[in-house]
Amino acid sequence: MVNKKAFGRLKGREAMVFGIIVAMVILFSFLSPTFRTYPTLVSVLDNSYYITLMVLGVTFPLITGGVDLSIGTGLVSYALIGGYLIVHQNMPVGVGILACVGMGVLIGILNGILVAVMDLPPFLATLCTCMITRGLGPALCGGFGVSWPSALSEAGQFRYIFKFISGNGTVVPIGIVLMLALVLIMSFVLEHTRVGRYTIAIGSNKEATKLAGVNVKFYHILAYVISGLFAGLAGVAYAATYATIYPGSGAGFELDAIGGAIVGGVSASGGVGTIVGAFLGVIVICLMKVGLPFIGLQANWQQIFTGIVLIAAVLIDVIKKRK
Amino acid sequence: MEKIKQNALVKKVGFNRIVLVCVMLLMYLAFGGLTGGSFFGLSRITNTLNYAYFLGFLSLGVTFVIATGGIDFSIGPVMFCCALVSGYSMITYGVPMVLSLIMSVLIGVLFGVFNGYLVAYWKVPPFIVSMASMNIAKGIAAVFTKTQSVSWPQSATSDGWYRNFVSMNGFPVGLIVFLAVAVVCAIVLNQTKWGRYILCLGSNEEAVRLSGVNVKKWKMLAYVICGTLVGIASIYYVAAFTTVQPGYGDQYNNEAIAGCVMGGTSMAGGLASISGTVIGVFIISLLQQGILALGFTKEYQYIITGLIVIAAVYSDVSARRRKN
Amino acid sequence: MGDIILTMKDIDKSFPGVHALDHVNLEIRKGEVLALMGENGAGKSTLMKVLTGIYKKDSGVITYEGKEVEFKNTREAQDAGIIIVHQELNMLGHLSVAQNLFIGREFKKGIRIDDKKMNEEAKKLFDRLNVDIDPAETMANLTVGKQQMCEIAKAVSFDAKVIIFDEPSAALTESEIEEMFKIIRDLKKRDIAMVYISHRMDEIKVITDRVTVMRDGTYVGTLITKESTKEDIINMMVGRVIYEDPKTQSAVPKNAPVVLKVEHLKAGKMVQDVSFELRKGEILGFSGLMGAGRTETARALFGADPKESGNIYVNGTKVVINSPQDAVKYGIGYLSEDRKRYGIVVQKTVAENTTMASMKNFMNGIFINKKKEKNVAQKYVEALATKTPDVDQLVVNLSGGNQQKVVIAKWLTRDCDILIFDEPTRGIDVGAKNEIYKLMNRLVAEGKSIIMISSEMTEILRMSDRIVVMCEGKKTGELDISEAKQENIMNLATREIE
Repeated sequence: MVNKKAFGRLKGREAMVFGIIVAMVILFSFLSPTFRTYPTLVSVLDNSYYITLMVLGVTFPLITGGVDLSIGTGLVSYALIGGYLIVHQNMPVGVGILACVGMGVLIGILNGILVAVMDLPPFLATLCTCMITRGLGPALCGGFGVSWPSALSEAGQFRYIFKFISGNGTVVPIGIVLMLALVLIMSFVLEHTRVGRYTIAIGSNKEATKLAGVNVKFYHILAYVISGLFAGLAGVAYAATYATIYPGSGAGFELDAIGGAIVGGVSASGGVGTIVGAFLGVIVICLMKVGLPFIGLQANWQQIFTGIVLIAAVLIDVIKKRK
Repeated sequence: MEKIKQNALVKKVGFNRIVLVCVMLLMYLAFGGLTGGSFFGLSRITNTLNYAYFLGFLSLGVTFVIATGGIDFSIGPVMFCCALVSGYSMITYGVPMVLSLIMSVLIGVLFGVFNGYLVAYWKVPPFIVSMASMNIAKGIAAVFTKTQSVSWPQSATSDGWYRNFVSMNGFPVGLIVFLAVAVVCAIVLNQTKWGRYILCLGSNEEAVRLSGVNVKKWKMLAYVICGTLVGIASIYYVAAFTTVQPGYGDQYNNEAIAGCVMGGTSMAGGLASISGTVIGVFIISLLQQGILALGFTKEYQYIITGLIVIAAVYSDVSARRRKN
Repeated sequence: MGDIILTMKDIDKSFPGVHALDHVNLEIRKGEVLALMGENGAGKSTLMKVLTGIYKKDSGVITYEGKEVEFKNTREAQDAGIIIVHQELNMLGHLSVAQNLFIGREFKKGIRIDDKKMNEEAKKLFDRLNVDIDPAETMANLTVGKQQMCEIAKAVSFDAKVIIFDEPSAALTESEIEEMFKIIRDLKKRDIAMVYISHRMDEIKVITDRVTVMRDGTYVGTLITKESTKEDIINMMVGRVIYEDPKTQSAVPKNAPVVLKVEHLKAGKMVQDVSFELRKGEILGFSGLMGAGRTETARALFGADPKESGNIYVNGTKVVINSPQDAVKYGIGYLSEDRKRYGIVVQKTVAENTTMASMKNFMNGIFINKKKEKNVAQKYVEALATKTPDVDQLVVNLSGGNQQKVVIAKWLTRDCDILIFDEPTRGIDVGAKNEIYKLMNRLVAEGKSIIMISSEMTEILRMSDRIVVMCEGKKTGELDISEAKQENIMNLATREIE
């Protein structure tokens, strides 16, 4: 009963994406017996945390009618810097996490200023910060890979936030609880606070919003700061999930998040979108990522599919508008 | 200053271009000085040129797209996709060298058609198309090569003749070809109907449409030209460096766009300069080599190129704002 | 009638080349609806923009509630209680009605926006105004009429003392207008002063108390609505001496061949079943007020916008025109009212613009024959007396009249026999206007045919051989020049809706 009510709340696009998720799970389970196992579920979830965090943030610039391409290389770079402080500078893990998130916020501010104040096209401005962050991490940390403390050590306890491993080896993916909580919180921010309201208003009609006396610049920058903040959090999740962070990786991560958001109904031209939709869209991408190898396709097929799905999602909107 | 600007010769060559050339020369001298003269050595010059060729083709290609007011930042990964797929076909399936080279260009053209069709006929925002193409190119390359890097034949082997495209017995064939292609691009852009319509629709698409011109066709053409040049760029990449790895190529997007925008092509469309792009490409290549020569890693290249694009685009944006 | 709340005295405003407002006076009283009338370009909107701080006046005094005021922007005017309800709506389509009403001043409960309370407040407001709109509905889903109601409700919620309606009924249906009038009557009772800009004579008679008429940027006079007739108002609007000789007789022979025939053209609300014929060597004037659907008719005919149905015959042959490409193929050229957006590529040269529509005649193999291009452009520069240093000049540097000549040159180069001139002299100074007129007369003498859309009565009477009058997307009449007078044209253009 409760389920039905929750499902009833999903509107058009979200319900459709939810249907796709169910269909994918059934398809994969049917084709591959190993897919139906608990470790696979954990693996899907492990792979989804950093992407989910990215999408929670990047949905905001997307709704303003912009985009943030810097989150992918950004999160790797922030995780590198955080890890470097912990491993090579012997700082507490807390400081590393703070540095990771703080860097994200800083780059978010930079993006916001470039777009909202200096008026650069968002895709170009963030393409540049994408390259800058890609260089920044290795440049500051000497270009070596970094491993955050392992879960076995005391300093590595932070990894339990995402995946709890009990004494007898039982794995509990509690990260999903955290993700759902964040989805609810950001959904609230987008739909029930000024920040969200003005984000949508800017994407809908920036001039009219300005005429209504809203400090458009501030809220426009804020959208990118939120994106940066969550890229920082995604960096922490990435560091917690994967053993080692390699410099130079991260290019293309942003596409999983942005693609997911657009699949989930966030409009590439701004003004439209929900956090729940974006979250569901990301799950589609993550399922492809993890699921395709189970049905005998190489993992990289996921990239091709993501590209095609992205175009298809936008084309659906274009065709709808024509009618 | 005004006097110099009004000088007939300066006007003819273009003040901005003269400034750019001066910047390039100064940079060259500065790097030479900072490295104690070693930057003037032949190997650095060769490296710079090798870098400038493939980057130059990318930059020329994207100049056409930006002239329409669009953008394509899938060019780097698409270039790698061309080189990987055709190279892997050659090495694994024994496709002859000539066919592989043709295949490289064709793959570029295909991506150009795909991008152009979606942007022009379906009005999908160019940045979305770029993102999708980038992913698809990387995915295809990785799937096709099973994520293995591909090494094209070395000069000594029987198939190594393709490396002569870059240099033959020390003679910089690449430079000649690159400049020749640039001249062709300049002619296409300024002397033919293609270029005329591309520039005009970048400036005011609706007015051109109402003049009875098939704007969709010409807009798509710009992306196809870009794709073709990206295919050629892939040949020059392997001819210079032989080895290609799947999953990379993003950085060249920025460098190519940087060369283009620095050369005076406006991001708003309608205004493009091939000679500016050529100079811009040499500046970027010099910079990349200079950074390495000074002992910095490639990470600094990323950062500095990023900053340069921001600066170049900002000056373009603020110049337009002043005009209005 | 109530006390005076606002006066504007001796307001003067010039733009480069145009004296938009010439010592205009206006007086608004509490609880009245003042109609502001005049032909297009009479200065009504400019005056209201000066009032609400969008434009800065050159001289004159605005007194509001006994104090002299000068608002720097709409925000200041709004805070003082003067609110303009725009023709083009300032709405956020993706947000709900209530969210739109309270944007920038949301009710909050902690950090949470209290949407429930906003909906309730909006509901209260709508109830008070007696309109039936669901505050939770998404703005973009409302009809234009309902959106207009929301704008009015928003104005009311700001505690407005003066509300300016800028052609509020342009996009509304009959019943929606009726609903709006109910609100206006209700607002009157609350002593709110209103300015109502409209072209619709029937509405003016129904809803307004007084009518102030403007003409050519000057104040003509004010009438009490009840005591005046439609003819009185029209006379004041058009009562200018026509110093340019009007045509009295058409020079086109009765049996001249029909070059263009349009039958039952339909394209949305603005083009409803329009039919007409154009003869060789004729200037066919299209008259009507703003929003009559003339430009839309031209664009649909030209293939610039999609059409629903209708037959087009060129020289007696039925043709299919689905895009401007098709139209140009059949020798139809269109000169848009908005040159900068639809006519020319301003960042390109005179020569490049001249050959835009006929590139293939200037090709030398794959190369553009720039010499020929320049020669032809030069030829037209001379023929049309375009003032430009040379043909390599960027069009952006030319004056409006000369830009227009470049567009004409573009179509002449393409050898178009049917030319649609949409407001050919808008924003062009008097001397250049005359040149354009002479040019048009020369073109028809050479056997071209012209459709001329114009909102200037003098232009219509001076140039046309026949006149088609449109009103609200329908053709309401067709007059031969010999029987056409300002009064009967205006009558057709403001015809009351059956």
